[in-house]
Amino acid sequence: MIAQSTAFKRTALALLCGLVVIALAMLTLPGKSYSAQDRDQLLAGASSQHPAGTDALGRDRMIRVASAFLLSLAGAMLAAAATTLAAAAVGTLSAFSPATLGRFAMLICDVFLALPWLFLLMMVRSALPLTTSPAHSAAVTFLVLAALGWPACARAVYRGARQLRNAEWMLQARATGLRSTQMLRHILPNLMPLLLPQFLISIPAFIIAEANLGALGLGIGEPLPSWGGMLLELDNSALLMRTAWVYLPIGLLILILLLLEAVAAEV
Amino acid sequence: MHLSRRTRKFAAAALIAACAAVCATQNAPRLPGELAWNLGTDPKTFDPAKVDDQASELVRYLTAGVLLRFNRSTQKVEPQLAESWTPSPDGRTLTFRLRAGLQFSDGSSLTAKDAAWSIRRVLLKDTTAPVAEEFLSAEGVTVDTPDDRTVIVHLPQRVIGIGKVFDEIAIEPASRPSEGRVTSGPFVVADYRRSQYVRLRRNPHYAARDSNGAALPYASAIRLDILDNHEQEIRLFERGEYDLIDSLPPDYFGLLKQKAPNAVRDLGPSLNTEQMWFNQSPAAPLPAWEKSWFQNQAFRVAVSRAIHRADLARIAYDGHATPAYSFISPANTAWYNHALTVPHEDVAAAKSSLAGAGFRMNGSQLVDSTGRAVTFSILTNQGNAARFKMATLIQEDMKALGIQVTVVALDFPALIERLMHRQDYEACLLGLENVDPDPNAMLNVWLSSSENHQWHPSEKTPATPWEAEIDRCMNRQASALKDADRKQAVDRVQQIVADQQPFIYLVYPNALYAVSPRLQGVQPAVLSPGLAWNVEHLRLEGTR
Amino acid sequence: MKAAARLLRRLARAFVVVALVVIGTTFLVRSAPGYLSDAREMDARYGNAARAELSAEAAKSGSLKQLLQTEITGWTHGDLGISRQYEVPVAELIAPRLAVTGSLLLRSIVAAWLLALCAALVSSAGRRPSLLWQSPSTLLLAVPTAAMATLCMVSDHGGPVLVMTLLVAARDFKFLDRMLQKAWREPHLLQARAQGLSTPQLVLAHILPSIASQMLALATLSIVTALSALVPIEVIFSVPGLGQLAWSAAMNRDLPVLLAITMIMAVAVTLAGMPADRTGEWQGA
Repeated sequence: MIAQSTAFKRTALALLCGLVVIALAMLTLPGKSYSAQDRDQLLAGASSQHPAGTDALGRDRMIRVASAFLLSLAGAMLAAAATTLAAAAVGTLSAFSPATLGRFAMLICDVFLALPWLFLLMMVRSALPLTTSPAHSAAVTFLVLAALGWPACARAVYRGARQLRNAEWMLQARATGLRSTQMLRHILPNLMPLLLPQFLISIPAFIIAEANLGALGLGIGEPLPSWGGMLLELDNSALLMRTAWVYLPIGLLILILLLLEAVAAEV
Repeated sequence: MHLSRRTRKFAAAALIAACAAVCATQNAPRLPGELAWNLGTDPKTFDPAKVDDQASELVRYLTAGVLLRFNRSTQKVEPQLAESWTPSPDGRTLTFRLRAGLQFSDGSSLTAKDAAWSIRRVLLKDTTAPVAEEFLSAEGVTVDTPDDRTVIVHLPQRVIGIGKVFDEIAIEPASRPSEGRVTSGPFVVADYRRSQYVRLRRNPHYAARDSNGAALPYASAIRLDILDNHEQEIRLFERGEYDLIDSLPPDYFGLLKQKAPNAVRDLGPSLNTEQMWFNQSPAAPLPAWEKSWFQNQAFRVAVSRAIHRADLARIAYDGHATPAYSFISPANTAWYNHALTVPHEDVAAAKSSLAGAGFRMNGSQLVDSTGRAVTFSILTNQGNAARFKMATLIQEDMKALGIQVTVVALDFPALIERLMHRQDYEACLLGLENVDPDPNAMLNVWLSSSENHQWHPSEKTPATPWEAEIDRCMNRQASALKDADRKQAVDRVQQIVADQQPFIYLVYPNALYAVSPRLQGVQPAVLSPGLAWNVEHLRLEGTR
Repeated sequence: MKAAARLLRRLARAFVVVALVVIGTTFLVRSAPGYLSDAREMDARYGNAARAELSAEAAKSGSLKQLLQTEITGWTHGDLGISRQYEVPVAELIAPRLAVTGSLLLRSIVAAWLLALCAALVSSAGRRPSLLWQSPSTLLLAVPTAAMATLCMVSDHGGPVLVMTLLVAARDFKFLDRMLQKAWREPHLLQARAQGLSTPQLVLAHILPSIASQMLALATLSIVTALSALVPIEVIFSVPGLGQLAWSAAMNRDLPVLLAITMIMAVAVTLAGMPADRTGEWQGA
């Protein structure tokens, strides 16, 4: 059973890496740009020039999907790393602090989870200078998502760290007078089995979050492609009737998310 | 381990029960002879004097009895409750003669006293009726009623287009404002469910008759749904639940045309415009060099020349728009200037005029005379797909000039704050809806002292000679007695705007409608409400 | 005595959470761009009236402290305030929508539980985790809610209840599947099976009771999942519930309505989480 699941994970990881390589290769093709508008071929079907057709502004769909994939994967990994680090710091510190401080930290996490984060996003969006390039605004979007995502992670880390704190070997170490800084050297490796899955699970979560934001219009600026921007095409039945290629982004998104979850899954 | 057949059956039954619980639909039933369509948003008020949003305006249009009606099709003012009206030669006294035997929907008689009371109420400061502003100095207006059927209105100063203003004043029972429940118009407000619908029923005492003497309105009731979702609206129209769609988005036009070619109407350019403008306010929190670009006529004209308006109309509006160069649309036959000279699309000319103004190319990037790269952002509102597409197309067009453009879409409140409160933007792309073909209605946009003078609001004195000339011309058309003088003044304003490009006009969106084949009596018009302007004559096939 | 003290402590905690959420929401909404703006300002006919209204409001509720004071004094008198976009009492807006949303949630969660339980029972009974059963739920969770709802609406198949049921069922299925897998492999169960106890008897007498204690955690999970999917589903299907109201309140900066809805949701999630906290989750604490 375990061997089977590891083989499954390996296949999923290999597929993902394959997709990344293909996407990178597509972007390096000469004469291809994600923003070039072929104004004579709007919502066209597959052709030799445009293998997956074009969107409503005549831009090549294949290149845009490849760019969106790489951008969101990179952004989501960045955000997942930031979130996991922040959650690890907060969770561990709270777990090893006096109980009241720990409970207070978790209270703040609960409050955070209940706030209408939409306004924070609007505020950040509005506070950005208007001339911020789409790439910078994309980075800011993912960082804000990371800033909003750590409470969920922190609770899980807190629980895990508390269990560690009450483990027998830890009690023995404390009894023999081990200082807190020395304890950290022992804690962190033991938390890795908890942190790594959190990191891996966060990646698809951030991809979906960015896609939802894009569908709300708070996502990444044009002409940079994003899943959210492309999913917006789906809410218009008029577009759906023109060409079946509009389903490519959502189909690919689901495939990528499935692969990511397979890599992150615990048996 | 396999499950026994009983267990499997139990599981299946449970699954079916779950699915059954999931299926639930609800439909608001239609009354016989009832017209139905989508209003879009909740009306903010049913008090006709306090109307200040589109949904409330439509409800007022359908229910209020007015002395004069502005016919949306002929674009002329016609008497409605009044049988005649006579303005004095100096335009400061208006005499209305009411028809005989008028009644309200509750059967009480409608006399000059009610008309006078309604007009006075609108003018009262406490009512804060937006329409009072149209009288220019509302406190000086007096209303007399020498007899039961005559109303005389004395104005302190002449008002251009005063006839149209009476189109917005509902005649209500004196001292009994009823918020649409007792009206003198074709329909009466019967029921209102917030976020669901407004129901109107026929006014049994409505005076108007058709050419055969039959009572109007034909329809027994109207249901105005409150549905903020184009997708569902189209679906319900296809199913026959809605009889008309008042403003059809361009992408759905093609879809509906395939399914029901007789149902869609494209009336050509509407009076509305879509335009882009640069921030020319000296108080804007922008760097000085950017302000110098935007205040430079050659820069604005070059940008205008580099925009492919035909592409904007074809791509962003699916062909259902017309390239625009002026604020008067060709649909406005009375005021359109056929002799206007405009800067047509010409990228080479744009580049040379930029070079003449001190800009030069540094590789593929345009730089100004100090060597700074020319970039700007276009601010537009979220949720309008066509506008966003236009901004993205313009972004691509500007690459030919070497200008880097960023497109930022904000939700409306955030946009208004940046635009009108802080002037913190570089370029903005929005649309203007014109419900009145008379340019005097746009006075607030062209007067430099106005808050709605978008590129440079609330100027204490006109900042440039051409803005001063626009002020003079607009004031002249507001006070001129002869129509020819007014036309000349407005023509001059159009030419100044074409030369200076404070607003870079992009397209006139076409007036797109959908009409159910079962609906009879429809005469689509470009002015709003384009399909329901003659609501008394609308009826469903097979109903009486 | 100890239980009562614990309960009081948890209630106090819930109260503190809700209070902080209220302050945080007020701060966020008030500071968000466009609080004192109105689309009517752009319309030359209605601009002056709109500006006058807004300056009157700014004078009354300019600072954060003023806003909070007005809101809290209102609540202590049972007055939830007046909606900024509809100009009617907030309670009048929320009451009918509470019923609609409650009905949607109840129907979806019950259907989801039935669906998830049946699927989990069948899936966990197999010898090894079946990909066939795992894939649908992973797939459903991978699709963004808005996309799923839109596709359902555009294709005219399924409505809000179906979409929410599928979403909650997918999440519950994973939870239940994991639990049931463990339950099937309990030593006493293996013995009972070896001794020939039939499957329905096993399920009813042993499996269901052993997971009953986790039902509260399941309830929390279901409610949290359903609430997070509520806004996109209600907006896309135009259901006149709390989610749609919350969305339009957010777009129109309608602080009183937003506060009321945020409070309701915060209370719902906190109360739902309270018993679950007690039974299983805080084992380490």
